[in-house]
Amino acid sequence: MINKVPLLQIKNLKKYYRVTAGLIPRPLGEIKAVDGVSLDIIEGEVLGLVGESGCGKSTLGKAILRLEEPTGGQISFQGTDVLSLNKRDLRTLRGKIQIVFQDPDSSLDPRMPVGDSIGEALIVHGVSGAGERGRRVARLMEKVGLEAGFAERYPHEFSGGQRQRIGIARALAMDPRLIIADEPVSALDVSVQAQVLNLMMDIKDADGLSYMFVSHDLAVVKYIADRVAVMYMGQIVELADKEELFRDPLHPYTEALLSAVAGLRRGGGSRILLSGDMPSPLKPPAGCRFHTRCHRVMEICPVAEPAFREVVPGHYAACHLYP
Amino acid sequence: MRSYIIKRLLYSVIIAWGILTITFILLRVGPTSPVDRYILNIAAKGQDVESVRQAIEARYGLDKPIIEQYLLYMGNLLQGKWGWSFSASQPVMELIGSHWIYSFQLILLATIFAIILGVGLGILSAVNQNTKIDYATSIFSFIGISIPGFWLGLMLILVFAVYLGVFKTFYDTSYPIWSLENLRQLIMPVLALGTGELAGYVRYTRSAMLDNLRKEFVTTARAKGLSERTVIGKHVLRNAVLPLVTIIMFDLGSIVFGGAYLTEIVFGIPGLGQVSFNAIFANDYAVVIAVTLIGTFMVLFINLATDLIYTYLDPRIRYD
Repeated sequence: MINKVPLLQIKNLKKYYRVTAGLIPRPLGEIKAVDGVSLDIIEGEVLGLVGESGCGKSTLGKAILRLEEPTGGQISFQGTDVLSLNKRDLRTLRGKIQIVFQDPDSSLDPRMPVGDSIGEALIVHGVSGAGERGRRVARLMEKVGLEAGFAERYPHEFSGGQRQRIGIARALAMDPRLIIADEPVSALDVSVQAQVLNLMMDIKDADGLSYMFVSHDLAVVKYIADRVAVMYMGQIVELADKEELFRDPLHPYTEALLSAVAGLRRGGGSRILLSGDMPSPLKPPAGCRFHTRCHRVMEICPVAEPAFREVVPGHYAACHLYP
Repeated sequence: MRSYIIKRLLYSVIIAWGILTITFILLRVGPTSPVDRYILNIAAKGQDVESVRQAIEARYGLDKPIIEQYLLYMGNLLQGKWGWSFSASQPVMELIGSHWIYSFQLILLATIFAIILGVGLGILSAVNQNTKIDYATSIFSFIGISIPGFWLGLMLILVFAVYLGVFKTFYDTSYPIWSLENLRQLIMPVLALGTGELAGYVRYTRSAMLDNLRKEFVTTARAKGLSERTVIGKHVLRNAVLPLVTIIMFDLGSIVFGGAYLTEIVFGIPGLGQVSFNAIFANDYAVVIAVTLIGTFMVLFINLATDLIYTYLDPRIRYD
């Protein structure tokens, strides 16, 4: 079902934030929100990106669109070098990659009727006639399962699930190839989550889209993704096909994450408890960043940073267990 | 909506009536009399103070019981008669009619000045957050907020009128209202009155802009490929305007007997602030009540206008 043409290629992408403090700002250091991430997204696939809050997964999504300007690395979309684009070409590119956010409250302009929020993208897209724009908006709203007559209404008149559908319609208005969905269902009730996920899958199949699906919810990712990348403190620690990853996780962090979800725990295995919180991103641990919380920590772990390598064909991990 | 407005107007009348009554009673209950300021003159002429006082008070009906005075006053007011100013020796409405324009022009110009520059600088500051422009604007606005308007007025007079001689030291009423000379002589008063508000608006605009810049609909607007100008103007500013309207309207309601009054004193502008100042010290009852009522109606009207503007600005607000 997937042809293996990479739609998006990311190489060694970095996004560092300089942190300062005080009245007269003095540098405290750098937060490496995204630190050397390499990923491909193949045409037509759903890549799930999982990790704890603050691991950099949202920043990665924004950095791809240069909504957060990357500090270093390479991004190539359909063969175009994204980081070398000037402002105008970047705006064209932004039509092809769209983003859907988690919070349906703040992701729609409260002072704009939803039809205008959707239609605004069409103006940028060159659909200038109001009549044609209205028809396109109506089609988009129907596509996401909303009545076309709702276009005149304001965001506060919709439920969370409906607002998320509007967010999806707005993203679709640009006729994108890739949608970065940043926790798109995390704020919704479970029953509504399923509806929105099904909608996203239907649209993907109909339009041949690709998704980068950012989530902290493994059950959701298991439902929707083709491949899954696991992120920890700004780095990808494991990447594999969904079935492979859920059946046979290699990285201890992935193991711990999976064991924490009751329905996903493997044959009678007990829950692996991670000790402590994620270390301060200002001072990441030396060696493997996970070693402070790892249940399989070895002598080498605090000393050397493990390389991200293909352990089994198609299954990548960064861990000293697999030299 | 219409019934809401009618209801609010009705409430306004009731509130104004209450304030009028309280003001009336407080003035009459006090130990003062409009005759007080003439006592020395009367005594100097060798007349008997007490008999003259009684004669004058009888002439203006001040010797009658309070309730009778009150009913008389209300009866006249309902016929549109605002009474007689003892100190200015003319009907109250004539007095106010010849002075309100001086306050109005000052307040209007100062408010426009403060809004345009304040909101403009606030936007500039927010868009360039944590840059030198932002820091410079912030320092300027903190200084502006901290300086009292009357002191700034005195300093402006000292520098530009006394040392440099660019302006006159006082407001010259001999220029017609609609003349360039008048506009020119309003520059210092407008600066004195408007700078504090301007500085406040810079801060409010900046923080309202920053609040909205962080919202996800702004990020999605950028992701749509909209230009930064459209993102700021159409999405961020439109949402930042709401808290600004609140604060600007609040200022407008309190400015007449707040900042404008002191500015009028400093520059010798014969506006309503000066009229009420003189009336209070002369125990000129009718004038005090009239300016109090004007102030009351301004606040009530501006509050109503603010609430109506909200419904236009924020689709979430409906009064039904």
